[in-house]
Amino acid sequence: MNPSLDGRPVTALIADDEAPMRDLLRARLAAVWPDLSIVAEAANGVEAVELGERHRPDIAFLDIRMPGLSGIEAAKRLYARSHIVFATAYDQYALDAFEQGALDYLLKPVSAERLATTCARVRARLAATAATDAPPQEIGRQLAQLTALLEGRGKPDKPAYLRWIQAQVGSSLRMVSTKEILFFQSDEKYTRVQTAGTEYLIRKTLKELLDELDPDEFWRIHRSTLVRVDAIAEVRRDLRGRQMLRVRGHPEELEVSRNHGYLFQQM
Amino acid sequence: MRASEINRVLDFVRDAVNEAGRLWWRFFDWVAVVEWRQLFLTWFFVVVFFALVNTPEPGFWFVFISFAVKVLAGGKRKAELMARDATAQANVATLERRLMEARMAALQAQVEPHFLFNTLALIGQLIETDPPEAARVHAHLIDYLRSTLPQMRQRGGATLGKQVELSRAYLAIMQARMKERLAVRFDVPDFLGSAPFPPMMLQTLIENAIKHGLEPKIAGGTVAVRAHVVGADLHVEVCDDGVGIDPHADDGVGLANIRERLQLLYGGDAALDITTPPGGGACATIRLPYKMMEDA
Repeated sequence: MNPSLDGRPVTALIADDEAPMRDLLRARLAAVWPDLSIVAEAANGVEAVELGERHRPDIAFLDIRMPGLSGIEAAKRLYARSHIVFATAYDQYALDAFEQGALDYLLKPVSAERLATTCARVRARLAATAATDAPPQEIGRQLAQLTALLEGRGKPDKPAYLRWIQAQVGSSLRMVSTKEILFFQSDEKYTRVQTAGTEYLIRKTLKELLDELDPDEFWRIHRSTLVRVDAIAEVRRDLRGRQMLRVRGHPEELEVSRNHGYLFQQM
Repeated sequence: MRASEINRVLDFVRDAVNEAGRLWWRFFDWVAVVEWRQLFLTWFFVVVFFALVNTPEPGFWFVFISFAVKVLAGGKRKAELMARDATAQANVATLERRLMEARMAALQAQVEPHFLFNTLALIGQLIETDPPEAARVHAHLIDYLRSTLPQMRQRGGATLGKQVELSRAYLAIMQARMKERLAVRFDVPDFLGSAPFPPMMLQTLIENAIKHGLEPKIAGGTVAVRAHVVGADLHVEVCDDGVGIDPHADDGVGLANIRERLQLLYGGDAALDITTPPGGGACATIRLPYKMMEDA
């Protein structure tokens, strides 16, 4: 993996989308590790991979949040040739992950003392891997774990439900948040989307919507009606014994079909 | 046995009297509130009906009694009923306002820690490399915090002018960080500066445009803020030419909060619309009733 370190200076790549951060890291590195040669600077993840592959630096300092490709994704393409040091500002999840995985990281803003410690450790690791030529499989596994941890947080195993309905209004596309929607009603060729103030028509069928929407957010109460659970005001029986549902913020009453009546049983 | 029977009869009589009383007062209220035109029409139908069944007396009694009630007690009772409605509404309004103030305070207390950390880090770095720029960013940060932290917010901050000023401070800081990746365009006529505009809404929309629209885009882009009057409404829109909106992305607390606050402040008269123009990117527009000045 690593070339011998004697004779040739150690090379490094810095990747951060914010120029002042790159400047700061470069200045600090010059102070704590004067022999280190910064061979490339990247302003986004894609550039980081490109430059990393071209220059094959010994060390890659990667910011985690970068446009194009995240630092972690970039690391997956680069770790075979370069030792990875992540940089991040204020992200407890990431920090925990780094600590557990024993990956090197810098907390932004980078302090001189902290950078010196990290650099000393990186130097030791470079020397160790140069001696043993160990395959960096371990790091690959840790990166995969990290991705899972960072991307899966906040929504454990939940599939991505539709959160915005796109409705054509004039020449532009109106994005209607599902939190605004009171109900959907199929209407011949179209599906009617009703919010408190407005009504939109979309081409998506009720069946398609049913598959894509969060089943805890919208309930089907009739062959042709989906209603947002949080918008339901009350359900009552009319003179013919049908269950009629009223939503908050709209006067229309919606019929609950016999098949879906079980949704509104008394406790 | 007999006693229970008598009790049952008494219960029935009492219920019947109660029911009759309720019906009478309902009739009374109806007569008090109903319009004369409608009352005349009702009289006409009642008289015709009783004339048809050949016993006109009850019809005339009905007309006489309702006329007497309307004339003698109608005005007072109507005023009472209206006052009761108004009180109920006022109570609800007061409650809502209190709730709203509490919610807003909670909402506005949020200065994103990321932003604060990054900006302080930037200032720290600039002190070493470019002190004048550090001073500029520092001044912007102070402006920003002054209008963001609730305990520091001075009165009269809820005008469009103030909100634009605050946004400029925020955008100036972001520009110092993103450099050429962030361009900013303001198109807000001066005369709209005094128009009332709720705090922290423009701010949230701009933060969203940068965070979700431009930061993920390698080349960056432009945030355009535009305000104009359409009919009786003030439209304030924040557009970016970034990556657009992923239909599966959660709409976040920010937008939900704006919607909730608009609803509390203006009822159905205000709205937040999100559109994606054909050229890409995203536009968020706040529409609310236009006023020249804040009420005294």
